[in-house]
Amino acid sequence: MTRYLIKRVAQAVAVLFAITATAFGLFYAAPSDPALIACGPKCTSAQLAAVRTSMGLDQPIVSQFAEYVGGIVTGRTIADVDGTPIPCPTPCLGYSYTLHQPVLAAIEDRLPVTVSIAVGALAVILVLGVGSGLAAALRRGRATDRLLSGFNLLGASVQIYFLGYVLQFLLVYSTGLLAPPRYVPFGDQPGQWALGLVLPWLVLGFVNAAVYARLTRSQMLETMHHGYVRTARAKGLGTLRTHLKYTARGAAGPLVQLLGLEVGALLGGAFITETVFGLGGVGKLAVDAVTGNDLPTVVGTVLVAAFFVVVFVAVADLVVAWLDPRVRLA
Amino acid sequence: MAAVSKVDAFRRDRVGVVSFCVVGFFVLLALAAPLVSAVYGKNPTEHYGQNGVGLLSPEGLPLLPNGGVSAEHWFGIEPGLGRDVLAQLLYGIRTSLLIAVTSAAVVAVVGVVVGVAVGYLSGLADRAFTFVCNVLLAFPSLLFLLTLGPVIQTRFVAPDENEPAWMQFAVLILVFSAFGWVPLAMVLRTVVRSLREREFVEAARALGASRRHIVFRELLPNVWAPVLVHITLTVPAMVTTEAALSFLGVGVNEPIPDWGRMISRGAEVFYDDPTYMVFPGASLLVFVLAFNLLGDAVRDALDPHTVR
Repeated sequence: MTRYLIKRVAQAVAVLFAITATAFGLFYAAPSDPALIACGPKCTSAQLAAVRTSMGLDQPIVSQFAEYVGGIVTGRTIADVDGTPIPCPTPCLGYSYTLHQPVLAAIEDRLPVTVSIAVGALAVILVLGVGSGLAAALRRGRATDRLLSGFNLLGASVQIYFLGYVLQFLLVYSTGLLAPPRYVPFGDQPGQWALGLVLPWLVLGFVNAAVYARLTRSQMLETMHHGYVRTARAKGLGTLRTHLKYTARGAAGPLVQLLGLEVGALLGGAFITETVFGLGGVGKLAVDAVTGNDLPTVVGTVLVAAFFVVVFVAVADLVVAWLDPRVRLA
Repeated sequence: MAAVSKVDAFRRDRVGVVSFCVVGFFVLLALAAPLVSAVYGKNPTEHYGQNGVGLLSPEGLPLLPNGGVSAEHWFGIEPGLGRDVLAQLLYGIRTSLLIAVTSAAVVAVVGVVVGVAVGYLSGLADRAFTFVCNVLLAFPSLLFLLTLGPVIQTRFVAPDENEPAWMQFAVLILVFSAFGWVPLAMVLRTVVRSLREREFVEAARALGASRRHIVFRELLPNVWAPVLVHITLTVPAMVTTEAALSFLGVGVNEPIPDWGRMISRGAEVFYDDPTYMVFPGASLLVFVLAFNLLGDAVRDALDPHTVR
């Protein structure tokens, strides 16, 4: 297991490095003048020159990249447009000349919103997706199975930017059943926190649940035919207990891997959901950075999102190795 | 023989046939958009609401109920500019399908070439492939798609120029393809790895067949089923991603009609004129639903192992 762990972590670090290089190369090297974009249209030529030096654009691209990576490891000091030195502690992901704060600080400010959305959406995915997949597998071919698969297909086909507005119109605007979605910190008022986010949770969860329902169902049906499940049944274990205890464990591998990817992706920001419901999370920050040409923030959010995905995919792999000895011994 | 029985299997699937007809209807509308809009008597670019009297209020909202739905404008008119909704929807299918189908074609070619090659070669190529896949899968692809368009634009288009239409399409197709081939290649790699060990491939190798013969004559004919299934499910995914990009503000620009941009504009005026968003939103839902059902039907017909 230790050997597997070391191998997996080394792989994760290599992937992250490759992503950093690609993102940096594309976004810092591609535009004709990143300083002009970073500085904004009202920038004087002196300020422009300052930004250019501060971003290190007078240096060759390789040393720019080395400095950026060095900043992630050790932190560095970056000069603002007016020349004020700004300390950017480890891990420094650059400085936003639009928001006038280090990129990581901007992301940290908005992370609670994104984490809150992710937690609730994940719960909905588990209940709706995995739950209905289990139910459909146990009731295979009956009305429940067909009803659930139809419901999930609808979820797979509807778009957040349509369903979100329709539900807001029906439940908030016309009938007033729900308050407009908003973010209240969990520590302040847990009840308001849940009430304010229930609509985004349901919409995001419903749209993503279909994949899990389908995968759970097919995995369960496939595993049910294995000899060890029949043995468990033969020695007198009840249907439900057999399937939850033995079939589910055998069927869980691909599900855990997909869930790992999902958790990572959700923590990287729910771009569309946050835009539709007007919640200021990391996703909204990234979308605003793209439309406002705030390149340092764009690269920073890409890296943070990729970091979450890599970490949680690795965690999922470890869980799978723990569930299934064949993986870790291979 | 085999092909006939698969078509039969598909024909017996009632949901599959209906969804095939719905998808066919949309494709037909897209192809015949100029003809249909000529018969209907409207074009997607004219500002009817601003030029005509009694259509738009001074605030730019349709005067008639339900977003201006009338005998003249069947699906109503756009708030603000006053363009015909039905004509815009018709031409919008063209935008979506052009991008989605072209990207799917590129994805199919790249995915098949890479997947089959890596599955057959193994060794170093396989390791490199796995690493590239890990990198691309960890990329926040939607954010990346969002960003690449503007970056390419600032690189190749002078600030005072408008981006030409072909370039907007090319950029979207390029970035969709860049991420889209990964899942297909991963599936094919697995398929080919198991095919490679089968008797018929071994027999060909024993008879002294070249590597080229084995790849093109023995392996490729056996992978078309997963490719077809994957492509049928890729097209709706591309359509919705394209619409999502437009919704977030970085899709195809005016005046090219586009469903995602209609929804985005609809979101701005949603509480005053919900109808304007309902038409493109519902059309997208029906289209994607039909395509997903079609993909399932194709898979059920082609894959005898599907657990039903």
